[in-house]
Amino acid sequence: MTNFFETLFRVLPSFLPFLLEGAKVAVQIAFGALIIAIVLGLFLAIMLVMRIKVVRFLARSYVEIMRGTPALLQLFIIYFGLSDIGLSLSPMAAAIIGLGANGSAYLAEVFRAGIGAIDKGQKEAAASLGLPPIEVMRFIILPQAIRIMLPPLVNYAVQLLKDTTLASSVAAPEMMFRARNLVMETYLSMQIYLLVACIYLTICIPLSRLASRLHKPNRGAAH
Amino acid sequence: MLWAAGETLKLTGVSFLLAVFVGSLLAIIRTSGSSFFRSTALVFIEVGRGTPALVILFMIYFGLPAVSPNLQFSSFAAAVIGLGLQGGTILAETFRAGIEAIDVGQREASLSLGLTPTQTMADVIAPQAIRIVLPPTGNYIIGLLKDTAIASIIAAPELMLRAKDLASSSFMPMHLYVLAGLIYFAMSYPLSLLVRRMEVALSKGRA
Repeated sequence: MTNFFETLFRVLPSFLPFLLEGAKVAVQIAFGALIIAIVLGLFLAIMLVMRIKVVRFLARSYVEIMRGTPALLQLFIIYFGLSDIGLSLSPMAAAIIGLGANGSAYLAEVFRAGIGAIDKGQKEAAASLGLPPIEVMRFIILPQAIRIMLPPLVNYAVQLLKDTTLASSVAAPEMMFRARNLVMETYLSMQIYLLVACIYLTICIPLSRLASRLHKPNRGAAH
Repeated sequence: MLWAAGETLKLTGVSFLLAVFVGSLLAIIRTSGSSFFRSTALVFIEVGRGTPALVILFMIYFGLPAVSPNLQFSSFAAAVIGLGLQGGTILAETFRAGIEAIDVGQREASLSLGLTPTQTMADVIAPQAIRIVLPPTGNYIIGLLKDTAIASIIAAPELMLRAKDLASSSFMPMHLYVLAGLIYFAMSYPLSLLVRRMEVALSKGRA
C-alpha cells in the first residue's frame, strides 16, 4: 500500500504535463464538436417544425437514428467505415465530426422544445402589434428561448467533455489515449487512471456548478 | 452478432439493477436527517457524475488488480460494477428529486400518525415518487443500453466488441458496423417509444 502512494507522488509530476496536453486536446475536440452540434442542431430543429412532411421526416429520422445508436459506434463508422469508401479522416477530425453529429441530434430536440415552449400567444400578440416576423423572432421569441435552452446546453457541453474519452479508441491524442499508453509503459494503472479521474473532476465539477447556477437566477427573475 | 446483442441486454439489465439499488440508497441518504451522511453521499455522487464512464471502467478493470491481485474482475463484472455505480450516482439525483417532490406534509402526517420513518418511506413516499421518476429512469435505461458499447473497450462480451472483432477480419467493416447499428437501434427505439408513451400516460393521470 505504501508502495502505491510512493510511486504516486514520485512519478506524478512527470506524468502531469503529458496528461494535461491530452486535456487540452480533449477540450479542442469538445469545442469543435460543440460548434458542429449547435449549428447542425439548430438546422435540424428548424427542419423538425417545418410544414413540409419530407423535410420533417428526414430530420426526424436523423435524430432518432443518431439518438438510438451508441456514440462510439458512430465514431467507428466515421473513422473506420468511411476509409473503405475512400474518405480517410484524422482521428481528431473523425472524433469532432462524430461527436458533433451525435450531439446535433440531441440538441435538435433541446432547441425544438425551447422554441416550442414560448407561449403561442406571444407570437400572436407581437404580430398583432405590427411587429414583422423577423423582429418577433429576434426580440421576443429568441431571448426567452435562449434562456430556456442554456442550462441543458451547458449540461450537454460538460457531458461532451467527458465523452471525448471515446476518441481514445480511434487513437485521438486526448487524455485517455495518453493515459493508456503511459500505463502500457509503466504498469502504474491505478495511479495513472486515478490521476486522469482527478483532472476530469477538477474540470467538470466547477462547470457543473456553473450550469446549475445558470438554472437558478431564471427562477428568481420571474419575481 | 445476435448472441452478442443478447449479452448487451444482459449487461444493461444487471447494470440497471445495480444502478437502481445504489441510486435509491444514495437518494434516501441524501434526504435523511444526518448531514454527515448527506455530505458523504453528495461527494460520492459528484465524483461519480464528474468522471467519464470509460475512466471508471478502466480503474475497475485495469487499476484494481494492480492494487491487489484479489481484485481482478472479469470484463463483464467490471463493466457492470462501473456502469452500475455511475448509473447509481446519476439516478440518485433523479430519485432525490422525486422524493422531494412529494409534499413534505405527507411525511409529517405519516410520522404524526405513528408510522416509523421506514414505513413512511416504504408505504407512503416511495409509491408516489416512483410514478414521478419512471420517465427519467426509462430514459436512463436507453442511455445505458448505448453506453454498454463503451464496455467493448475493456473487452466485455457485448455487441460492439463482436462488431469490432468481425470487422477486423473482414473486408467489409462498414457493413458490419452498420448492421450493429441497426441492431442497437432495433433494441433502443421500441424502448424510447415506450418511454414516450409512458410520459404521456403518466401526465394524464395526474391532473
